[in-house]
Amino acid sequence: MQMPIFEKSSESSVTRAIISQFAKDMDGFAETDVIVIGGGPSGLMAARDLALKKVRVLVVERNNYLGGGFWIGGFLMNTITVRAPAQKILDELGVKYKMYEKGLYITPGPLACSKLIASACEAGVSILNMASFDDVVLREKNRVAGAVVNWTPVSALPRQITCVDPVALESKVVIDATGHDAMVVRKLEERGLIKTPGFGAMWIEKSEDAVVEHSGFCHPGLIVTGMAVSTTYGLPRMGPTFGSMLLSGRKGAKVAYEHLKGR
Amino acid sequence: MSTSRAVKKRLRSVDFYPSENRSAKEFSEVESFLEEFFPSVKFSVQPAVVTKVPKRELDALSEVLASSRMKDPSSAEQTFEPMFGEIDYERRAIRGMSKVGGIVYDGRMLQDVLLRLLGARASVEVASIVFTDRLVTTYSRDDLRHHLRTVVCGFPSIISIPGVVEAPAKPREYYLMKQRMELEGAGELMLEQLKSSFEGRFVDYDDPEIFEVLKGLALQAVMYHLTLDPFCDNRGCRLFNAHWQEDLIGSQISGPKLCNKHAKQLASLGRNPVVSW
Repeated sequence: MQMPIFEKSSESSVTRAIISQFAKDMDGFAETDVIVIGGGPSGLMAARDLALKKVRVLVVERNNYLGGGFWIGGFLMNTITVRAPAQKILDELGVKYKMYEKGLYITPGPLACSKLIASACEAGVSILNMASFDDVVLREKNRVAGAVVNWTPVSALPRQITCVDPVALESKVVIDATGHDAMVVRKLEERGLIKTPGFGAMWIEKSEDAVVEHSGFCHPGLIVTGMAVSTTYGLPRMGPTFGSMLLSGRKGAKVAYEHLKGR
Repeated sequence: MSTSRAVKKRLRSVDFYPSENRSAKEFSEVESFLEEFFPSVKFSVQPAVVTKVPKRELDALSEVLASSRMKDPSSAEQTFEPMFGEIDYERRAIRGMSKVGGIVYDGRMLQDVLLRLLGARASVEVASIVFTDRLVTTYSRDDLRHHLRTVVCGFPSIISIPGVVEAPAKPREYYLMKQRMELEGAGELMLEQLKSSFEGRFVDYDDPEIFEVLKGLALQAVMYHLTLDPFCDNRGCRLFNAHWQEDLIGSQISGPKLCNKHAKQLASLGRNPVVSW
């Protein structure tokens, strides 16, 4: 007689396993050190670096999948490019790459993206995917102290049939890594707490350094990284330069860590 | 009509202030270039202006610099309240903890800030030329919008190093092709290839010829200090105010020279460098 491949388990056990672990996770998410809104390259990088330093980090991602636009390069082609010195981060992540020309490196998007996700998860980053950012939690002097989130499908359906209230998660720092949308910054703008200049109308070709240099606190309690930096400060738009996304995430993590250490 | 001028003083010296991300040594060839025109004038490279700030003035200066950002190209006056992060960035940049670049400033507002920092060091007898890695604009009454500039002549004069790359327009076809590629989602690699297909038709970042351009721009700044009339209409003259990269290369890089009129004027000013406005 042939033995079954898998051990026996009941449906109810599977259900209980999912619920009990998720409830335990959510209990931890309710109050954490850093909440990163957006699981693209800059958000994952920031979360990974913080988790490696034993900071409790939660990434809130509205999609089922993590990685944002990091899976694919320009023109729907999945070769991505990074400029020096960002290849050093690829080394840290264990991503193989080739030099295209001096200072410019290429690697397959799926390889780089999956390695970054794995590295973040292995570092201890918690993930809440299929959950969308809804609002900010504010404390004294309008300091950002957390995020209000809801399941993504709730926002995708008409309000009449999905009257589901969101939940609030508290944190010491929130990182807006939501790309061009800069959703957290926009929420502060809606409340009249911040005024963004919009995109620079000047046609400027080089702004990667400015994106990295401006990665940091844009409001008490709120750090901005990645393309959200461009939106927040009106820096010129640029093509998909992933090196600056990774370095921006790293800079955001450094700023957050120093802030947490100083508290 | 009287042609007499109110100010007549001898230009004693020209002070160069190196840009934020470069060393003073890199500007010595610009200094040597100008010395040939004005042998009796003393040229010196000073420490960068914005980095020598007393601690008590750091916060105020950071805020003023952040307020000088050009945020609305169609508005002559920039009257925005700076953001928390913008002030913080300027503070870090002043202290040398952040690299300067990629941000656009209103050139006239920046000039006011610099003049205040230079204080007594700036005078009629001393021309101050501040090189910067910031991008600068001035507002044009012709089309009612701000334009990026290579040089903003004044007291002091500002020469924007990234402005050499970004301010004069590249060939028209370049922008059309770039716009099309961006709409199609082209990546960095393809944009690099586009750039290489226009090689030699514009000055790019890290191009060693930038310093050749800076020499001509510095000459324009000194001419402004002496005469308030720094530019020439002749496309082949180093004093030509180029709005296209093609003209910039033609006037500053491809066999640069002065037109006959300005060659004579500069020979005369070289013998007798009098500021006459």
